[in-house]
Amino acid sequence: MATTMIRSRPPLAGRSTAPAARRRPGDRRVSGYLFVLPALAVYALFILYPLVQSVYLSLTDWDGAKPHKTFIGLGNFDRLVHDTLFWRALWHNLIWVVLGTALAMAVSLLLAMLVWSRPRGFTVFRTVYFMPQILPAIIVGIVWSWIYSPAFGILDRGLSAVGLGSWSRGWLGDPDFALYAVLVASVWATIGLAFVIFTAALHNVDQDLLDAARVDGAGAWQRFRHVVVPQLSSAVTLVTVLLLVHGFQAFDHVWIMTKGGPDNSTQLLATYTYQKAFMENDVGYGAAISLVLTVLSLVVSLAVVRLRERGDR
Amino acid sequence: MTTRTSRYVILAMFLVLFLLPFVWIWSSALKSNSEINADPFGLPTSPQWGNLADAWTTGRFGKYLGNTVLYCAFVVPGVTVLSCLAGYALGTRRLPGERYLLGLFLLGIMIPFQSIMVPQYYLVRDLDLLGSYWGVIVPSIALGLAFGTFLMRSFFRELPEEIGNAARLDGAGEWRVFSRIMLPLARPGLITMVVLQFMFTWNMFLIPLLYGQDENLRPVSTGIMFFIGEYSVDRSMIAAGVTLASVPIIVVYLVLQRHFIQGMTSGALK
Repeated sequence: MATTMIRSRPPLAGRSTAPAARRRPGDRRVSGYLFVLPALAVYALFILYPLVQSVYLSLTDWDGAKPHKTFIGLGNFDRLVHDTLFWRALWHNLIWVVLGTALAMAVSLLLAMLVWSRPRGFTVFRTVYFMPQILPAIIVGIVWSWIYSPAFGILDRGLSAVGLGSWSRGWLGDPDFALYAVLVASVWATIGLAFVIFTAALHNVDQDLLDAARVDGAGAWQRFRHVVVPQLSSAVTLVTVLLLVHGFQAFDHVWIMTKGGPDNSTQLLATYTYQKAFMENDVGYGAAISLVLTVLSLVVSLAVVRLRERGDR
Repeated sequence: MTTRTSRYVILAMFLVLFLLPFVWIWSSALKSNSEINADPFGLPTSPQWGNLADAWTTGRFGKYLGNTVLYCAFVVPGVTVLSCLAGYALGTRRLPGERYLLGLFLLGIMIPFQSIMVPQYYLVRDLDLLGSYWGVIVPSIALGLAFGTFLMRSFFRELPEEIGNAARLDGAGEWRVFSRIMLPLARPGLITMVVLQFMFTWNMFLIPLLYGQDENLRPVSTGIMFFIGEYSVDRSMIAAGVTLASVPIIVVYLVLQRHFIQGMTSGALK
């Protein structure tokens, strides 16, 4: 849900000339800060302070127990550059983000187009498509672990039912397939959100323009490409940000289904951070990995905000 | 009419894709283990309602669900109150330094929880909150504030300022203007905020994994993890657990689905 952005304030014509505001500006200002204070205090202590601390911790070799944290400069980052597992996790994250975003986008857009005219049963479709979105990750994880189970899962039995029995395998236990198997489960759970956003956006598409294009002889694909897509651009941007940000912080489904295995084939930056910092007590190093995650998330978010601002102009 | 038929075929396929896994697990919850292995997809021949009772007591699901409800009862109002206050001030008046405050809150929206979890864990430990309900509640509240503040700010910004000023002319204090006039006007935003935060809190996983490791502190989400560890071969028991954990939230969703869907879209669009 990390998509709220600062939009530039509309011009405030006559705002500060209202008589009451002029009467006691100091009083209003003080009370304004008092309103912000409780949230800011909690936020500063539990979010901002740890954020700063993570930079400091990444420069130490702390193990979580020693009374003194030894400063080792950029030692952790030097180790990071030579850590093949780190690069693998980063690579997995990129696959996850690119493939997952493309897949979720394509399916949700297709479904949204199919219900564009609000056919009979629209509410039922929307209710069901959105349902995985509201469920805890643990439930999605278990349901899909069962689907993939070689012993009794739907997938393998279905494959042998249609004569593709040779394809069946323990999907989550196979290093070549595990990452994609978990990704499919994760995409399945996020399609609903992208779908409702697209549905809402399509509802606002100008029908007259479409009719005009049809009269002018534009084919279905041309109408989609040149009339619908441009009008959807802000929804597309929004869904992209949502999916990208979700993609970089992917943790829950992976942790529940594979814990980063088998053979680190589903290790992502977030799971690797958790493993180093909390399971191996390599706190300084874990903080260094998490810092990479921070920088990547910030770069992606800022890039998209920029893009969006340019689009608005 | 063929396009119309094929459209329904595709829509129905996805309907099955989203629904079938749940039907499968729920029906497994009412089967014995031998039946699950022999015929994984058939409907239960003689429903074993005892599985659900076992999961509730032996599997400690009653306790886990109680904890989840408790976390929601503290975190949702906590985030909502703090976010409303901050969002109101940042949305309706121009405070000097407001840009910096907004920037700070925006930072919290852009970075994932994993960016801060390492130092935050040791902070919670040093504050001696680890192993208590507060250890789960307080970080969860903090984590919801950035998004909540921005969400509420966007709702308060849309309210006309004249209404508040009129009340001020009549001698109403700042607190009164907020609580009696502006807040009731922002009710749609308030509902969105509560629904979204309820869902985030009900579903949270990593926070209780870190701060609620104690048996007594586990909510449903991490509770099931340990449950699976203990009963990994007892599939009907696991299915019963999943059923108990998913049915309440699905019922809430079906009753309030308009708010869920509108909340998620408007929350995302704001």
